[in-house]
Amino acid sequence: MPLETEAKARVRALVADLRPNNGDMMTALHRVQHEFGYLSKESLEVIAEQLDMFPSILYGAASFYDEFRFHPPAQTTVRWCSGPACRLRNSNGIRDAMLVTLGMEELHEQTEDGRVGMVLGQCNGCCELAPMVWLEQHGEHGPTQTPVGNMNAARAVRMARALRDGSDLDGAINA
Amino acid sequence: MPESDIALQKYDALRERADAEYAAWRNPERPRIDIAMDTSSLANGARATGIAIHRVISERNAAVDMGQVHGYGMQWIHPSVQITFPNGETVLYGPVRPEDAGRIVDEATGTWGAAADIRIGMITGTHEGVPSIRDHEFFSLEPRERRLMRNLGLTDPDNLLHYIARDGYRATARMLGRHLSEEAVRNQLNDAGLTGRGGANFPTGVKWNFLFGAAGDEHYMVCNADEGDPGAWVNRVVMEGDPHLLIEGMLIGGYATKAKVGFIYLRDEYPFSVERMERAIKEAEAAGILGDDVLGTGMEFRLRVVRGAGAYVCGEETGLLSSIQDSRGMPRVKPPFPAQRGVFNKPSNVNNVESFANVPLIIQHNSEWYREHGSDKASGTKIFSFSGDIPRVGFMEVPFATRLEDCLRVCGGIQGGQLKAIQSGGPLGSLLPPEALPKLILQPDSFSPWDAIMGGGGMVFMNDQTSVLVMTEALAAFVEEESCGRCTTCHGGNQRQTEIIRRIIDGEGRREDDPNLALIDRTVQFSNCVHGQFSPKITRNTRVHFKNDFEAALLGVDPTLTLKGMYEVYVAHQRPEEQAAAAADICPTAAIQGEPGRRRVIDEACIRCGACFDVAPEVMGKRAKAPKPGLVPLA
Repeated sequence: MPLETEAKARVRALVADLRPNNGDMMTALHRVQHEFGYLSKESLEVIAEQLDMFPSILYGAASFYDEFRFHPPAQTTVRWCSGPACRLRNSNGIRDAMLVTLGMEELHEQTEDGRVGMVLGQCNGCCELAPMVWLEQHGEHGPTQTPVGNMNAARAVRMARALRDGSDLDGAINA
Repeated sequence: MPESDIALQKYDALRERADAEYAAWRNPERPRIDIAMDTSSLANGARATGIAIHRVISERNAAVDMGQVHGYGMQWIHPSVQITFPNGETVLYGPVRPEDAGRIVDEATGTWGAAADIRIGMITGTHEGVPSIRDHEFFSLEPRERRLMRNLGLTDPDNLLHYIARDGYRATARMLGRHLSEEAVRNQLNDAGLTGRGGANFPTGVKWNFLFGAAGDEHYMVCNADEGDPGAWVNRVVMEGDPHLLIEGMLIGGYATKAKVGFIYLRDEYPFSVERMERAIKEAEAAGILGDDVLGTGMEFRLRVVRGAGAYVCGEETGLLSSIQDSRGMPRVKPPFPAQRGVFNKPSNVNNVESFANVPLIIQHNSEWYREHGSDKASGTKIFSFSGDIPRVGFMEVPFATRLEDCLRVCGGIQGGQLKAIQSGGPLGSLLPPEALPKLILQPDSFSPWDAIMGGGGMVFMNDQTSVLVMTEALAAFVEEESCGRCTTCHGGNQRQTEIIRRIIDGEGRREDDPNLALIDRTVQFSNCVHGQFSPKITRNTRVHFKNDFEAALLGVDPTLTLKGMYEVYVAHQRPEEQAAAAADICPTAAIQGEPGRRRVIDEACIRCGACFDVAPEVMGKRAKAPKPGLVPLA
C-alpha cells in the first residue's frame, strides 16, 4: 500500500544512522514515537530490520516500558502525577474524579471518541505545585506538555468535563 | 605517554577565553535579567514570565539583556529570575509572574525598589537593606561555600565557558597534564571516602578498582541518571544546574578505569535534563574535551545519553545495563557483576549522577578538603530534596550528619497539622515515625535502626491530616506496577500486598491481614534484585512504626477520614444554598441529590473524590462510618 510505504520510508529515514548492537534501541523507539505519536506495527518492523532484531524480540522489549505506546494517543492525554507530595493533597480524589467524568474504569484508557486519555505519571520533582497533572497534546507538530499545578478535585472535574465536551479548557483550568 | 603539558596548555587557552567571557557575563555592560530555567521553574511558568519580560524590554527598547540560570534551590518561589547589574551585583526575585514583568524591568533599569516585595536576596555583592541569599534560613544548613551546587545562579548551565571559568575541567587538565596515575585518582576517591550516592553507599573508588582490573581493554563507564524515586530530584539538579560537572566526573572515571565510552541512562520524565546533557556533551566535544583526543593527550572518551522510558526498575544497575543493550530492562542475578559483564557483556561500572559530580571536586582539591564536611562515617556534602506538607519545597546541599530535624525546621516546619511520618529513600525506602526525627541525622547508618534507608536524597514530610495508609497504598502500588516480573515472589507477592492494603482501605480489613502481610514480607525478600528484596519494607514499616493506625484501620477506624471505606460524605448544612448547589453541580457522579434545603448524599454513588468540599466547604461534611460489627479485635 502506498501510504504504508511512505510511513515506512519516513521511519527508515528517522533511524538510518542507528546500528545493531550499539545500544540504539531506546533512541530508535523514542524518535519514532516522538514523530508519529506511537509505535505502529510497520514502524517496529523497520526498526527491527535496522537494528538486526526479530520484530517479536523488539516488540517484547519495547512493551516492557510504560512510555512506549502501540496505539495512537488521544488528542489530549491527562498525565496524572502519582508522586507522594501529590498524594498528601488528595491526588487520589483528583484521579477518581477525572476517570469517572471521562467514563473510564482505570488509567491508561481513552474515551471512545479518542479525544481524551489518561495515564499515570511519575514525580519529576515539582512538588511545590502538588497536586498536579500534565496535559499532553498530540498535534501535527509533535507532542506538547503543559503542567497544571495546585489542582483540586473540583478543578479536575471541570477540566475533565471541558476535555470530554470539547468546551473551554482554559476557562476550566482557571475557574 | 602524551606530551608533557599539552593538556594544561589546551586548558589554559580555553580558560583564557572562558575568563573573558565569564567576566563579561558577571559584570555586564548593561543589566541582565536571567530567567531560572529548570524543570521546576518551567513547570511554574518560567517561559511565560520570560516572554512577558522580553516583550516589555522590546516595547520600551530598554537597555537590558536577557539570559538564563538554574534555580537556586527555593522551588516555592518559582518562577524565579535574577538581575545582574554592571557592578556585578546579582539579586534573586520570585515568584515572578508575567504581570510582574514591568516591575522587574523597572528594577533592572534603575528604579530600585520597583520589585522590592518579590526580592529574595543577594546572590553576589551586597546592597543595603537586601540580605545575602546565604543568610536565608533555608540555606542556613548549607556550608558557606557550596560545592556540588557551587555554580547554581552563577552560571548559564548551557555555557561550557562559564563552567571552565569557575574552575571546571581544571581537575581533568591537571590529572592529564601532570600524568596522575589511574591508581592515584582512585586512591584519592577512597581517601576522600566517596561512596555511592544512589543509596547503596558502596565506595566509588573500590568500584573503579574492579573495573580497572577487569579483563580486556573495552571498558564502559555508565551513569545511572534514572532517578525514579518519587519525591527525589537530586540528580535532576546536577544535570540541569551543572551538566559539565557530571561530564567531567565521568571523564575522570573513564581515565581512572580505562573506559573509552560512557553512557548516561537518563529517565524519560526529565526531558529538560536530556536536552541539557546532550547540548553539554556536544559543546564538550566541540571544545576537544570529549572525543578521541581529550585535551590533546590522545585519550579517548565519548559520552552518550540513553533515554529511559518509564521503567523504575532500570534504576537497578543490571536492569539499566539490559536496557542499554536493546532489551527489556529486567534486572538479573549478580554475579556476574557489572565489572565482569556489563554493557555488551564487557566490563562496566555504574555510578549515580551525584557520585560522579563529587569526583572533579575531590581531584581538584584533595581528600582532606573533601573531608572537612561530614562525619567519620560519611564525608562530604550531599544534595537533598524536600517536599510534602512543608511550606518550603526545594533542595539544598548539606554536609552529611546534618540533623533531619533541622532540615524540617528550615523548610518551615510541618504545615497543616502535626508531623505524622517521613518518607525517605523512595518506595523501596522507608516510612519513618515522628519519634525517629530527633535521632535522625543525614547519614546512612542513622536510618538503619528504624529499618529504613536514607536513599538517594528525597525526603517527604507528612502531616497527620492524611492517613499513613494512603501513602502505604501509593508506594505498594508503585512497587507492584514496577516489578519487572522475573521473580514470582516479587510480582505475585506485591500484587497480594497491594490487594490487602487496598481492601483494608476499603474498610474490609481482616484479622489475618497482619500475619499475611508478614508472610508476604518473609517471602518477597527472596527475590533476585533489590526491588523485590526491599518491596515489602513499606508495609513492614507501616505495621511496625504505625501499629496503632494500622490496627485501627483493620477494624475500619480512621480518625483522619481519608480512607475511602471508613467514612461517608454528607450534607452537614443546607446553607448557604449557592454552595450546596455548587456541590451538587460539581459532583461527578451526581451523588448529591434533592431539592434546595433538602439535599443529601447518595452514599452508594459517592466516590469520595472531595470535589464538593472544594466548592462547598461550609456545606459538606465527613463522618466516620460505624466499624464493622463482625470484626474481632486482634489480640
